[in-house]
Amino acid sequence: MARKIFLLLLALMLMLSVLGCTPEESPQEQLRVASLGSPVNLNPLFIRDNFSFEVVSLVHASLITFNNETLEVEPSLVKEWSVEDEGRTYVLNFNDNAKWTDGTPLTAEDAAFTLRVICHPDFTGYQYALFFNAITGSQDYHSNHNSPLADGSIEGIEVIDENTLKISLDRQMAPFLTYLNFFPLPAHIFGDVPVAEMEAHDYSRNPEVTAGPYILNQWVTDEYLYFVSNPDFFLGQPEIDEIYYRIIPNQEAQLIELINGDLDLIPTAVKLEDVEELEKNPNIKIYSNLRLVYDYLGFNMHNPESPLYNKEVRQALSMVLDREALVRDILLDYGRVAYGPLTPLHFPFDENFQAYFVDKQKALELLKDAGYDEGFELRLILNAGNEVRENAALMFKEAAEAIGVEVTIQTLEWQAYMEAAMQGDFDVIISGQGSDPDPDLTFNWHSQSPLNELGYVNEEVDSLIEEAAVALEQAERTMLYREAQEMIVDDAPMVWLYYREAVHGASDRLMNFKPHPNNVFYQVHLWKFK
Amino acid sequence: MRSFLTKRMIQTLVVLVGVSLITFFMMNLAPGDPFMMDPEMRMNPEAVARWKELRQLDRPLHEQYYSWLVNLLKGDFGISLIHNRPVLELITERLPATLLLTGTSLLVALLFAVPLGILSAVKQGTFLDKWISFFTLCGVSLPNFWLGMLLILLFAYHLNWLPASSLRTVGVAASFYDYIKHLILPVVVLSTGSAAYYIRYIRAGILEVIGQDYILTARAKGLKESTVLFRHILRNSMIPVVTVVSLSLPFLFTGAMVTEYVFSWPGMGRWIIMATLSRDYPSVLAVNVIVAALVVLCNLGADLLYAYFDPRIKYR
Repeated sequence: MARKIFLLLLALMLMLSVLGCTPEESPQEQLRVASLGSPVNLNPLFIRDNFSFEVVSLVHASLITFNNETLEVEPSLVKEWSVEDEGRTYVLNFNDNAKWTDGTPLTAEDAAFTLRVICHPDFTGYQYALFFNAITGSQDYHSNHNSPLADGSIEGIEVIDENTLKISLDRQMAPFLTYLNFFPLPAHIFGDVPVAEMEAHDYSRNPEVTAGPYILNQWVTDEYLYFVSNPDFFLGQPEIDEIYYRIIPNQEAQLIELINGDLDLIPTAVKLEDVEELEKNPNIKIYSNLRLVYDYLGFNMHNPESPLYNKEVRQALSMVLDREALVRDILLDYGRVAYGPLTPLHFPFDENFQAYFVDKQKALELLKDAGYDEGFELRLILNAGNEVRENAALMFKEAAEAIGVEVTIQTLEWQAYMEAAMQGDFDVIISGQGSDPDPDLTFNWHSQSPLNELGYVNEEVDSLIEEAAVALEQAERTMLYREAQEMIVDDAPMVWLYYREAVHGASDRLMNFKPHPNNVFYQVHLWKFK
Repeated sequence: MRSFLTKRMIQTLVVLVGVSLITFFMMNLAPGDPFMMDPEMRMNPEAVARWKELRQLDRPLHEQYYSWLVNLLKGDFGISLIHNRPVLELITERLPATLLLTGTSLLVALLFAVPLGILSAVKQGTFLDKWISFFTLCGVSLPNFWLGMLLILLFAYHLNWLPASSLRTVGVAASFYDYIKHLILPVVVLSTGSAAYYIRYIRAGILEVIGQDYILTARAKGLKESTVLFRHILRNSMIPVVTVVSLSLPFLFTGAMVTEYVFSWPGMGRWIIMATLSRDYPSVLAVNVIVAALVVLCNLGADLLYAYFDPRIKYR
C-alpha cells in the first residue's frame, strides 16, 4: 500500500514537472533583469503599480522621452514639434517609419485616439484630471460624450495628416509638452472596445500589437516575462536579442544570482549595505542616480488648535534634525540632503539654497515665542518596512525631545498608513513625494490640489505657481519657482529629509546602460554586451 | 453513517458561510482599499469613484456580499480587483507550482518521519533515540526563513551547487534535472519542520501502544516481531498521525508563504500575501473559502480513517 502511494505521488510530481516544462530555444544574446515584484498590467493607460510601470517601456513607445541627465524633452515617436499661438497650440510630427508589430503604421490617429480614451468619462486613470483637461473641448467630451467607445472627436485634437497631430489648449500650460510622455494604444485594436472594458481587456496581459523595442513573447506568472527584440522598432532593432525579466522578491537571492552570473542587472534594488562588497567584485559594476523623489517629515496643518498650525513651532521643529548625519550614516552617502521641493534634477534647482540647520537654542526661542515653551506631544506615523524612514523617525524623536516635544512613533501597515495619511489622522508623517520631470509645483503645493494632504495654504505661493505654470520662458519660470520655494520653505510645512539615490548592480559586460530618474529601460535598444 | 455524513455536510455549509461572512466584513472594514497600492502612483478622486462604480464597490456591503455569494453558487469566484482577471484563473496558474513544492515536501517529510519515528520509539532511550530527538528539536525550532537563508548562503553562494531562487533556470531548455535542482533547497526547508513534528507524533503514538496488553499477547502467541510491529503496533498508533497529516493537507493548497518568498517560488503563498496587502477582496475571499472547505473535508476524511484504523470507532 505504502509503495503504491509512493509511486502515485512520484508520478504526480513527474507529471507536474513535465506540465511545467516549456521547451525553449538555446540562448542567443540574453539580458536577465531582476525585479522584486510582478507586473500586473501592460496596458500603459491603466498602470497602478511600479513593476508594470518599469517594464511597460520595453513593449511600448512613448511620444516623447526625457534626457537621463538634464530631463530635457527628447524626440521619440514624435520626431519634432512646434509650439504656436503663445503656447496654446502644439503641432507634433510623428516618425513616418513607426509601425505596430502587426505591420500597421503607427500614426497621429493612434495618439489622437489615446487622448480620446483618456478624456472619456469611463476612463479610470489619473491622466485626464492632471494633464489633459486643458485641451480645448476635452471637458465637454469628458462630461457629455454618450458613446461607450472613444469615438467622436475633441475640438482641440486635430489629425492634420497621417504624421501630424495638432493639439490646441484653452489656456497656456508651460509643462504641456512633458505631459506627452504617454504611450499610444493601437486604435485599430481598441477602436471598438468600450473604454470601461479596456482595463480588463486581454491586451493588458497579452499585448500582441505594440510598437516598443521588444515584443512580449511569454509571461509566466510570478516567474518571468520573456521579451524578444522587435526587428521593426522605429529607432532600429535592439542589439540584445532577448530579455528575461525575472521576478525574485528576495533581495539577497537577487544579489547572489548577480554575483554567480545568473543575472545581468538589478535595477534600483541593491541594498546600500551591500554596495561596498559588490564594488570589490571585478565582474560587477555599480551605478547610482538621483530620482525625482524626496522623503519628508510632514506636519499636519489642518487643525487650528494644534501647535503645528503655528509657523514658529514648525520652524523650530525644522531645526532639530541633523539631516547631514542621516544621509551620511543611514543612506551611506547614497543621497543628499533636501532643503526644498525642487529636486536637483529640476532646472530651477538652486545649489546655493539651504535652510534650517541644527540650532537647538534658536528652536527653543521660537517655541517660547509661540507660547509652547512647556512642550507638547506629537504622534508620528510612518509605513512599516522602510528602514531608512524608521531610522529618520527615531532620530527626529530624539532630537525633538531635546527641545521638550514628546514624539510617539506609530509604524503602520501600508494600507492603514495610506488611509491615515488621506484622512489626516496624524500630527507628523514620514512620507515620500514624487515629482514630474517638469518642476511644476501645482500638484504638491497648490492649496486647491487634491494631493495637498498636509493642508498647506499660502495664497502668494498659489499665485506664483499659477504664474509659473503659464510662463513660457524658462528663465522666468526659474525665478518664479525659486521664489515660491523660498516662501514654502519659510512656512516650514515639512522637514525635507533627503533625495535618495537609486543604486543599480549590473554585470560589467553590459554596456550603454544609463540610469534614468524614471525609466529603467531608457534607450534599451542601444544596450549591448561586451 | 448516512446521518453522520448528512450532519457533517450541514456543519460544513454553516462553517463555509461563517468563514466567508467573517472574511468579507473583516477585509472591507480593514483600513485601505485596492487603490492604495503604490506611493508614487497618483490618484484622481473622480476616476477612483468611477472605477469603484464600474466594479460595483460603491454598493452597500450586504448587497456586495449577497452578489458574491450568488455568483459563488454558480461557481464564479469573482474578478480580481488588482489583476482584472477571474480569481479562479489566478489560482489555477499558481497551484501547480505550489502543489509541486508542498506535495514533494510532504512526501519527503513522511519518507523520513515514518522510519525515524518507529526507530526512535522501538529503540527508546538509546543513543539513536537521543539523536533523533535532537534532530526533531532542531527541526521544530528552526524558523523557515532563517534555515532557508542559511542554505542559500551555503549551497547557492559559497558552494554554488544549487540555485538560490525560482523553480527553473530561465533561458535554457527545461529539464527534469533542472527542476529537481531548484526543488532541493525549498523542499529541505519545508520538510525539516514537518518531518520533525511527524516523528514526535509517530514516536508518541507507538510508545502509547507498545506497552498495551494485546501487544504482550501477540508476542506471547509467538508472532514475528515485524508482524507485531506493523500489524498491531503501527496500525493502532496511527490515529494521532492521521490527525496531524490530514490537518496539514489543506495547506498544500495555500503554499508555504515564507519559504515561497525566500526562494522566490511562483506559488500561491506569495500571491495570497500580495492579495491581502493590496486588499484584493475577491481573491482573499476565494482562498479563505477554499481553504475552509478543504479543512472541513480533510477533517471528515480523518474521521472516516479513524474507523478504518480502529474498528471500535463507529459513526451514527
